[in-house]
Amino acid sequence: MSQVLSQAGKRSLRLRHPVAGTLAVAGYVVMIVPILFVVATSFTAGSTLRFPPDGFSLRWFAEAAAYTPFVEALVSSLQLAVLATGLALLLGVPVTLAIHRGRIPGKELLEGLFLSPLVVPELVVGLALYQQLMIGLGLNNFSTLLLGHTALLLPYAVRVTGASLALADPALEEAARGLGASPLRAFVTVTLPMLRPGLISAGLLGFVTSFNNVPLSLLLQTRDFRTLPVTMLDYVQQSYDPMVAAASTIVLAATVVVAVVAERTVGFAKIFGGINR
Amino acid sequence: MTTPAAELIGVSQRFGSFTAVDAIDLQIPRGRLTTLLGPSGCGKTTTLRMLAGYSAPTSGRILIEGDDATRTPPEKRNLGMVFQSYALFPHLTVADNVAYGPKMRRVPAPERRLRANEALELVGLAHLADRKPKQLSGGQQQRVALARAIAIRPRLLLLDEPLSNLDARLRVQMRAEIRRIQSETGLTIVLVTHDQDEALEMSDEMVLMRSGKIVQSGAPRDVFPAPADRFVAEFLGYENFLALGDGRQAAVRPEHLRVVPLDTPADGAVALDAVVRDVAYRGVDLLVTLDATDATGAAVRLLADHRADTATGPTPSAGDRVRILAPEARLALLDPTPIPATPTEGIS
Repeated sequence: MSQVLSQAGKRSLRLRHPVAGTLAVAGYVVMIVPILFVVATSFTAGSTLRFPPDGFSLRWFAEAAAYTPFVEALVSSLQLAVLATGLALLLGVPVTLAIHRGRIPGKELLEGLFLSPLVVPELVVGLALYQQLMIGLGLNNFSTLLLGHTALLLPYAVRVTGASLALADPALEEAARGLGASPLRAFVTVTLPMLRPGLISAGLLGFVTSFNNVPLSLLLQTRDFRTLPVTMLDYVQQSYDPMVAAASTIVLAATVVVAVVAERTVGFAKIFGGINR
Repeated sequence: MTTPAAELIGVSQRFGSFTAVDAIDLQIPRGRLTTLLGPSGCGKTTTLRMLAGYSAPTSGRILIEGDDATRTPPEKRNLGMVFQSYALFPHLTVADNVAYGPKMRRVPAPERRLRANEALELVGLAHLADRKPKQLSGGQQQRVALARAIAIRPRLLLLDEPLSNLDARLRVQMRAEIRRIQSETGLTIVLVTHDQDEALEMSDEMVLMRSGKIVQSGAPRDVFPAPADRFVAEFLGYENFLALGDGRQAAVRPEHLRVVPLDTPADGAVALDAVVRDVAYRGVDLLVTLDATDATGAAVRLLADHRADTATGPTPSAGDRVRILAPEARLALLDPTPIPATPTEGIS
């Protein structure tokens, strides 16, 4: 239903607002075409990053998969993204509940506080964390990165689950209580299922944001622990061969798979609207 | 005398400086249907929510079947509540919605299914047990909400404006349906409504509220012909208010005013001379708007229903000078105390 509507919306956008429509198409072209070049060059049989590619082979994929720094960095990135997402949800959901359902003064201030990582430049956050936590408190870089990424993802956790919660009828919880559920059981059996699309979308959004983050990860890296984007950046600075393109293509493919799975199981409209339908 | 199903003793609810419910005393008799009736902001829903345990009274006590329940949380009160929005759980089937209460009470699964089915049978929806709430019409959702509340075998069934989201025809059907369910189950029901017809038709006992206070209560047959004051009279559809000249105030319903030719003898009725201002055709009758002067010399605007099939004399038309007769037996004498200003709207 919503897909049909949005398609109709696009069509009418192009018909009724030719300038806006053209700009939208141009925007997509500018974003997507360079990515297609990277994907195409990753299948080259030659040894230079060049378009058009020399022949077709999967050799650079094999090389990327066998290149230990990439593999280790991938594992690090995944660990970091999963843990940071989990932590952000664990902290963010109670905050959302307090903001939307609690009787606390200064709700707007609280919400603003939790959304603020969106506006503070990440480089500044990274530098502050580096100075205070790593140098000052002597925390290791994984803990510092985890804290930094968690803070970075909190706005998504609070905002997106909040959108789900705002749409749920507050009488649902009251109904559950009236039917004999304790506050905790009412939360688990009624509120949590209402929050499911919001939790999934906040989780996916958080995971992707953490996985792709460069500024924080760049500032807080050490030789023992660095994330995949930082490792790839390092690699590109030294050698410019198709292996980086292959690694990028793999990451892209994984992202597409996640997106498709998300669309099939929950639906994009629900994920990004956080709508309970 | 048996203990009432519920009792409110000096119960108040204040939100900041606003008093939503002002020291009310109320007894809910067992096995009867009691309605809390009043305009929005009168405190009726706040009263129901305190009874259900969703908000604690600022002062006063609430007894349920004789036990103090003032601070008891809703899950320990065993009251069935039907919300205005129905509040069906959208992720559960109809059967699971209805079985939710028994499940929370740790009733074993087979017994749970049996009870859910029984409750759905009662509202005539057993065949829709496997649907999700959003696949049902508004009226069906309403019945599921009723079944869900009944399935916990509640001490009281609380209904918050249960019919306000239904269309007019369904609303009238559901009135009879709720009465039938009540007589079949013998449940004590408390129903909140702002619709006087609903209250009159459904109640054993009606409680009229205004500004957080109870202004009148009793059986519809006792309350309707004898409204205590002008507020109750207006709320029950009395459109005409007359000063009788001896300090008394009376209310009369439009259908009890007779529009007759000027020279008609009063015959014991209160008679006023009037000018027809407007005549509106309404199918079964004409609604006649009149300007008259009452016994104290004050100008009054009157409304009369003129039924062509039962009325005598010519059909009135605008500009006619006529006589208005109000039979003594149809006058409802009012408490002359003036009405204080109506409270702020919003919380009801």
